[in-house]
Amino acid sequence: MRVLAAAVIAVSLTVSAAAGAGASHTITIENMQFNPPQLTVHRGDSIVWVNNDLVPHTATADKVFDSGSIAVNASWSYVATKSGQYPYHCTFHPTMKGKITVQ
Amino acid sequence: MKTIATCITAALVALSAAVAWSAAPKEGPEGLTDAQIAAIVVAANQADIDAGKVAESKTQNKDVKAFAQQMVADHTSVNKAATELAQKLKLTPEPNATSEKLQKGGEENVAKLKTLQAGKPFDAYYMNHEVYYHKAVLEELDKRLIPGAQNAELKALLVKARPTFEAHLAHAQQVQKDVEKSG
Repeated sequence: MRVLAAAVIAVSLTVSAAAGAGASHTITIENMQFNPPQLTVHRGDSIVWVNNDLVPHTATADKVFDSGSIAVNASWSYVATKSGQYPYHCTFHPTMKGKITVQ
Repeated sequence: MKTIATCITAALVALSAAVAWSAAPKEGPEGLTDAQIAAIVVAANQADIDAGKVAESKTQNKDVKAFAQQMVADHTSVNKAATELAQKLKLTPEPNATSEKLQKGGEENVAKLKTLQAGKPFDAYYMNHEVYYHKAVLEELDKRLIPGAQNAELKALLVKARPTFEAHLAHAQQVQKDVEKSG
C-alpha cells in the first residue's frame, strides 16, 4: 500500500512538472534573419533563440525582453509569461525583425 | 659538350616548369585559387575594420558611431571564421592583385578619413564609402569568390557571409540617408 501511494505521488508529480514547464520553441538566427520570423506561443512556453550566424546578434523587444549579445553558436531562452504581441529586433542589425505572439 | 650542357639545362628548365605546374594549386573557373580567395576575404574584412575604427573614434553622430562599431565587430567575427577555416584546410592566404587592391584602397580610405574634419563632411564621406565598399564586395562575392571557390567548406562560408554584407549595405544606406538629411 505504501509503495502504491509513493508511486501515485511520483506519477502526479511528473505530470504536474510536465504541465507547468510549457512547450519549448526554437528560433534559429541565420542569414541575418530570425527563422521563423513570426511565432505564436502559449503563456508559460519557452522560446530559445539559437545563433547559427557568423556574427553576434540580439533578440530585443523594447521594455519586454532583451537577450543582450548572443555569441556565435550560443543561444538565449525566454519564458513568455504575459499575453500579447511582441515585435522584436536585433539591436546590432536594424534590418532584422521578428514577432512573438503570446496567447 | 656544349650541346650536352644545353640539353641538360633545357631538360632541367622543362622539369622545373613541370614541377611548378603540377604543384600549382587548382584554379577555379574565375582564375582564383582558394588560397587567393582566402587572402581577398581577409583583406576585404580588414579594410572595413580599419575604417570602422577611425570612424567610431572620430564621429559625433550616434548612428554613424553605432554603424562603425558594428562593422568592427561583425567583420572581426567574419575574419575569425575565415582564418579558422583557412587553418583547418591548411590554406595559407596568398596575396594577389585583388587582395592588394583592397588593401591599398583600405589604406587610402583610412588616410582620407584621418584628414577630414569631424562632423558632416567626415560622416558623409565615411558612409558613402561604406555603401560603395559593401556593393563592391557583394559583386566580388557573386561574380568571382563564390563561383570560384573550389573547397566546399570555403564556398559554404562565403555563402554564409553574404547576408551579413547585404544587411550591412542596407544599414549603411539608411545611415547615409540620415546623414544627408542632418544639418
